[in-house]
Amino acid sequence: MILDYILRRLGLLLFMTLMLSVFTFSISYLFPGDPLSNLSGVPSSNFAQHSELEDKYLYNSNYFVQYIAFLGRIFQGDWGLSFASGDNVFSHIVDLLPATLELSVYALIISIVVGVPAGILGSAYYKRWPDKLINSTTMVGYSMPVFWLALLLIMVFSLKLGWFPMSGRMGLLYEIPANTGFILIDIALAGFPYKGMAFLDALRHLTLPTIVLAMYPTTVLVRFTRESMLKVMDQSFIKTARAKGLNRRQLIIHHALRNALLPVIKQIGLQFSTLITLAMITEVIFSWPGIGRWLIDSIYQRDYPAIQGGLMAVSLFVILATIIAELTYTLFDPLSRNQAHGKV
Amino acid sequence: MQLLDVRNLTIELRTSETIIRAVDKVSFSLKEGEVHALVGESGSGKSLIAKAIVGVLNERWNITADRMHWRGVDLMRLTPEQRRKTVSQDIAMIYQDPSRCLDPTAKMFDQIAETLPENPTKGFFLKRNRERKDRVKALIHKVGIKNHEAVLDSYPHELSEGVCQKVMIAMAIARTPKLLIADEPTTALESTTRAQVFRLLKSLNQLKNMSILMISHELEEIAHWSHGIHVLYCGQMVEAGPTHKIFSQPRHPYTQALLKSLPDYEQGLAHKEPFYALKGTIPTLQHLPIGCRLGPRCPQAQKACVVTPKLTKHNGHSYACHFPLIKDMR
Repeated sequence: MILDYILRRLGLLLFMTLMLSVFTFSISYLFPGDPLSNLSGVPSSNFAQHSELEDKYLYNSNYFVQYIAFLGRIFQGDWGLSFASGDNVFSHIVDLLPATLELSVYALIISIVVGVPAGILGSAYYKRWPDKLINSTTMVGYSMPVFWLALLLIMVFSLKLGWFPMSGRMGLLYEIPANTGFILIDIALAGFPYKGMAFLDALRHLTLPTIVLAMYPTTVLVRFTRESMLKVMDQSFIKTARAKGLNRRQLIIHHALRNALLPVIKQIGLQFSTLITLAMITEVIFSWPGIGRWLIDSIYQRDYPAIQGGLMAVSLFVILATIIAELTYTLFDPLSRNQAHGKV
Repeated sequence: MQLLDVRNLTIELRTSETIIRAVDKVSFSLKEGEVHALVGESGSGKSLIAKAIVGVLNERWNITADRMHWRGVDLMRLTPEQRRKTVSQDIAMIYQDPSRCLDPTAKMFDQIAETLPENPTKGFFLKRNRERKDRVKALIHKVGIKNHEAVLDSYPHELSEGVCQKVMIAMAIARTPKLLIADEPTTALESTTRAQVFRLLKSLNQLKNMSILMISHELEEIAHWSHGIHVLYCGQMVEAGPTHKIFSQPRHPYTQALLKSLPDYEQGLAHKEPFYALKGTIPTLQHLPIGCRLGPRCPQAQKACVVTPKLTKHNGHSYACHFPLIKDMR
């Protein structure tokens, strides 16, 4: 049963990836300019080069054959060359995506660690002062634009107090070889004498962007968890369990939390796409060398192959994250486990 | 000994415009080892009374009572925590909608196991675990579920309403309560298991001296073994008394109508013969008539019925009617 469900989900993943690839492929024909140079990333060329490219990209065959060739190149890692740098787009993405992922994952972890307990606390003290405090705080955090919050934090903590650095991922003092692309893991792997110092420096660089990025998902999760908890606590099976003689702690741990957190898992998955979008803004402000900043730069520079590749990588990632969240939700929820027919 | 003593229990629902009195000054008492029945049409507030006693009503409902004594302790005056302890120790309730009263994400075994009272016997972890399993199994066999393994390993939504109902009953009797409130315990069951459940409840009453407050609209089922019957109409207690008296000499027109509506199979029924029924339907809570709430439907109604009748008590048989059916008495 569950295997069936997973297979269906994978089918959905496959289909969505297919649609995504069709869209990405069509983009190079829809963008202004020569489709061939949009695809390959080689700008205007002489005749010999042009005919060579035409052969490579099967440009004189029909669209379907071209699309198949495109898929083949995608799997080989030949995503074209960037107009701006002249390097392979794929290698750019491999370099840059981990930085974005690192930032997003930490922000997501922080928002779960802070948001879910805060939401539970709020529902436990419903309409008393802790709930009111949490509610008003999240309202403020929820309504604050990310870029403004980032600028405020930079002003206070970097410029006035000087606690945290303003931009970048790492102090210039340290040279960290990029193994995984995740800076904290890389430092742990690197094994050089000033490991502890480098680690601290990386954490200090991480602090402000992570806080900025975590703000929105945290407030969403707080409000969502609180609502969900209140809704579950009002249901008759909770009242029955209470009449059965369970105390408040048992009630919350055994019955309320499981039922209330199920929709929260789903919500976390949905937050991921918002998170990536917000990460782009955060990266620009904090000069974080991630895929978001690179993508925005590519848009400014009309670097079509880069836009194409970046779009594909980011979207693929969001789809994957959504499906993983959906799968986890289904694994935990006995009610939806039986509904093999998926919905997105 | 008086087990439960309720005086003038009133349950009101506050809406934005008015206050709706769903249960109006209901009084009754229950002795140890007795079986009492609350009967009435659906919507007459039977379940509300039961839920008010157990204390599981929402905050929207406003409950007032002159007294609600449980073995000499006034439940209304206890803190919620004390009340929960007292109630969970001695009172158990079988709910009407079993599938909604079971946690949808917990397996049946866990839900039954957590109602078991703390095991006094000390033992190794594994041994205690096995004991718990055996006790749950015994409970579930008691309520007539034979394939215990499959049932205990499933979630509420995977089982039929009838099986859920049985699990609810198993949970209710797990702590051997002094009072069992059964809110239409057999609505979702097929007739063979229905008889089985009634047999079980009867034996619990006789062997373990468990008091039972039955809420039902099936008069025949409870007529043979209940000690007292309370008839409710629209949230008002219309008649209460020992079962045999209610059946032999109903004083209230509504009780009479209820008894008349029972099909008499001994006489035989003609083909498509209509059952006796009062004209009209039970009024909605928003449009309750003043005075005696039966007034508009009552065959005996007169001008005086616009004033709420007082409860008259006579030899343990009480009724609230201006024009009781005394002439029918032999």
